[in-house]
Amino acid sequence: MKTRREFLKSTVLGASATWTVPLFIERTFADLHAGARDLAVQAVTGKDDTILVVLQLAGGNDGLNTVVPYLDDAYHKARPRLAKKEKDLIRLADGVGLNSSMPFLGDLYGDGGLAVVRGVGYPNPNRSHFVSTSVWETGDPNAKSNTGWLGRYFDNACSGSDPTVGISLNKTQPEAFGAMKNPGVCLSTPELYRWIHGGGEQAEAERFFESLNAPDDAVDGASIAEPAVGRVGSIVGESNLEFLERVAMDARVSSKKILEVAAKHRTKVRYDGTPVSRSLNMVARMIAGQMPTRVYYVSHGGFDTHNGQINSHDRLLGQLDGALKSFFADLREQGNADRVTVMTFSEFGRRVAENASSGTDHGKASCLFVAGAGVKGGLYGQQPSLTDLSQGDLKHSVDFRQVYATLLGDWLRTDPEAVLRGRYGKLGFMG
Amino acid sequence: MLPKATRPWTREEAAHLVRRAGFGGSPVEIDRIHALGREAAVDSLLKPDETDDAHPLPEWAKMENAMKEARERIEIVREARRSTQGMSEEEAEKMRRQKLQEIQRKARMQEIEGGQWWFRRILTTRAPLREKMVIFWHDHFATSAQKVKQPALLMKQNGLFREHALGDFRELTRAIVRDPAMLLYLDGQNSSKAKPNENFAREIMELFTLGEGNYTEDDIREAARAFTGYTLNRLTGDVTQVRRRWDDGNKKIFGKTGKFDGDDVVDLIFQQPAAASYVPAKLWSYFVEDEAPPAIVKELAKSFAASGFRIEPLLREIFLSAAFYDGTVMRNQIKSPIQFLVQMCRELEIHDLPLGYTQQCQQQLGQVLFMPPNVAGWDWGRAWINTNTLLSRYNIAGVITTGAVNAPGVENDSDEMMAAGEGAGNGRMLARMVQRRMQNWQGPDYETLAPRELREDPEKLVDALIARFFQADPGTKQRTTFIEYARSKKGVVFTNHEVAELCHLMMSTPHYQLA
Repeated sequence: MKTRREFLKSTVLGASATWTVPLFIERTFADLHAGARDLAVQAVTGKDDTILVVLQLAGGNDGLNTVVPYLDDAYHKARPRLAKKEKDLIRLADGVGLNSSMPFLGDLYGDGGLAVVRGVGYPNPNRSHFVSTSVWETGDPNAKSNTGWLGRYFDNACSGSDPTVGISLNKTQPEAFGAMKNPGVCLSTPELYRWIHGGGEQAEAERFFESLNAPDDAVDGASIAEPAVGRVGSIVGESNLEFLERVAMDARVSSKKILEVAAKHRTKVRYDGTPVSRSLNMVARMIAGQMPTRVYYVSHGGFDTHNGQINSHDRLLGQLDGALKSFFADLREQGNADRVTVMTFSEFGRRVAENASSGTDHGKASCLFVAGAGVKGGLYGQQPSLTDLSQGDLKHSVDFRQVYATLLGDWLRTDPEAVLRGRYGKLGFMG
Repeated sequence: MLPKATRPWTREEAAHLVRRAGFGGSPVEIDRIHALGREAAVDSLLKPDETDDAHPLPEWAKMENAMKEARERIEIVREARRSTQGMSEEEAEKMRRQKLQEIQRKARMQEIEGGQWWFRRILTTRAPLREKMVIFWHDHFATSAQKVKQPALLMKQNGLFREHALGDFRELTRAIVRDPAMLLYLDGQNSSKAKPNENFAREIMELFTLGEGNYTEDDIREAARAFTGYTLNRLTGDVTQVRRRWDDGNKKIFGKTGKFDGDDVVDLIFQQPAAASYVPAKLWSYFVEDEAPPAIVKELAKSFAASGFRIEPLLREIFLSAAFYDGTVMRNQIKSPIQFLVQMCRELEIHDLPLGYTQQCQQQLGQVLFMPPNVAGWDWGRAWINTNTLLSRYNIAGVITTGAVNAPGVENDSDEMMAAGEGAGNGRMLARMVQRRMQNWQGPDYETLAPRELREDPEKLVDALIARFFQADPGTKQRTTFIEYARSKKGVVFTNHEVAELCHLMMSTPHYQLA
């Protein structure tokens, strides 16, 4: 059977199709001409390309207890019970201490592979989890955009690529993946990301299943350049059935590929049993299996520490640190360490002053990490003042879209302006 | 008025009505509706013979019990405060957290039971259109248990939607102003003369009645003042407007000035022309097609205003219209997760699913009853479908058709919920519960659905199942593939298990996602 690229070259791009092709292929002739070069590059060099792993710390990570301004009296005054003392910290610079639950990131900082960006936020911050997550994911401070920043990257820079260009290790599609054409795929557990047949003779049953979930003129590969799911507008003329057939094919093709890949790679590196570790283990397996994926999306939840923060917050950071340690060791063993950059983000930081229940409430600006061999380590952005506050919260000095712009421009090597719909100064943390 | 359907009433049209104005049904059910004729069929849906109280509420959801529990909760907190005196700060904190967790666990269990209660009602009701409208109002006046945290209040709101399901929209809007769950959800509880909160004032105009562009920011600010003072008495469950917290000054809303209160604002809203078209347009996309054509909305708006904003005549007009039975409309709606689950069960003549499993399915498919994602409700249509939810639909169909023991995909959900920021305990609790209960679940009765004599002829078997699951021709290729599969299975015996797998295959198709 022809490969998808051969099929496209020999028929769609070549002679005009005289037979009936499914609408979604027919409609993409123009797109394909424009995207043909990218398509070829993507498929051939996919295994050498740079990869971004976006790691969401869901719930609002307390930046002040993650990267601690331990010399600032205002910090200790605002947090009589929660404040970290100098001896409990990993010193990064004068007055800047890393939470000691993160020894691996501390070492990475020492080796110059960790950028700490401080004071990240956006204008008119919103303290709702939902709205603020939406702001970060869409890259739109009004949270009105119906596409996500990563989805726009897929649309703008990866045209013609298959759906596995972005993989989210969640059950639901992150808003960041919302796209006009290619929203990536989302899966929680690869073992379940497939059609499960209860009877015997799985292979035979699958033959029937595949035939039912392929368009009439079979294309060996996933769909190309189409508006995606979600609030995104549909293209004129595509019926709901055609839309379903397209997603069904994407699911079938990507499922097959991901399962194959996930089964292939075995690592000697030990991962913890935490969900974030398991997710990163899965990402490492897919990278090892040479998926053409450019962006992986992983979540680590539980950061909404309104009460009894001390233990829970340190534990969560420790889980993050352990997961990243295994992940980078695994990548080094594979020889892929140079290809991967990890960016963490959280919808907001937390209030400077602790609350009555030894916790902290929703806040505004916070810090984030960018880690990897391609990173120029160090401190970026200013530590926000602890006395000049906005309603008890930190003011931001770095717009989060500057972080995105840096990664898009200097790591994924695309024009950030087209993706972010505006020009944002890069921060220089990519080497 | 929309032009009426005048062609002879076909069985396909009857099946279409049963799917859209309800949740589908068995072949017998569709025959029954078909036999009535078009007008009587629509009437039977609009005037069901089932009373509101036909499905008794769980004990905890009855208001008197819920209020008793609320009082106990306050007592528990007080008791915790008393007993922690003299303890160290950390010990006291630990104790408080423990008490809080107990309360949360109880609420979580009630959430699951409440969701199951409603799902079961939707599945077994003899008033399917009413339940379909309850879901519509739940999506329209979206309120989530995640914020409200008191399942009994959501059950009360659910009852309100049922009472007004086909009634007067203006009445329902007035009632929602005083609904405890809505008050908590949109922060009305904290809105006072000194500090008016604009949340409810904004959403009532933007999302509930008029739509964006039909009001100004000044209208919202002024209306927020009118909506101040509504307060929930947590011991009685009633909402009243406390006069001293209410801003009694003059407000200027939609160009009119007066000392308006919440009810006055609702009256002013319904004097706006947009109030006549906003809900009819939404109802058309809910029942008929993704985008409501402007010409149709215009007609419906006229009828809606003339009837005094009554839902029943509006729905009658829709279900009797020629446009509702158009070829582009039939079998071209993407099932919502609830529609998918309920319709599948009805077609398989299953009357219940194990406690917790329905909720797990809803989570996997992206629509959990009592937990809309935000005040705008769910995104419908194509938004339900992505590669993961589609595969989940296929696999859930596999579990339900086979009545799976140790079915793959019914366990291991806890990680997901942790990732979603929910407590680890909750996720594990649900996962364990489902696993236990699924083990003893029998699944559909295939002796009735596919009698032995029918299995003699694979073609006949497939056609009978196609009629049951699709109520129309799913296409030559699909039919041929089903028959081929059935032939390959017809060895010595065609066991129930093999019939189940055939049903599973038929549901693992793009076509089956359409209603």
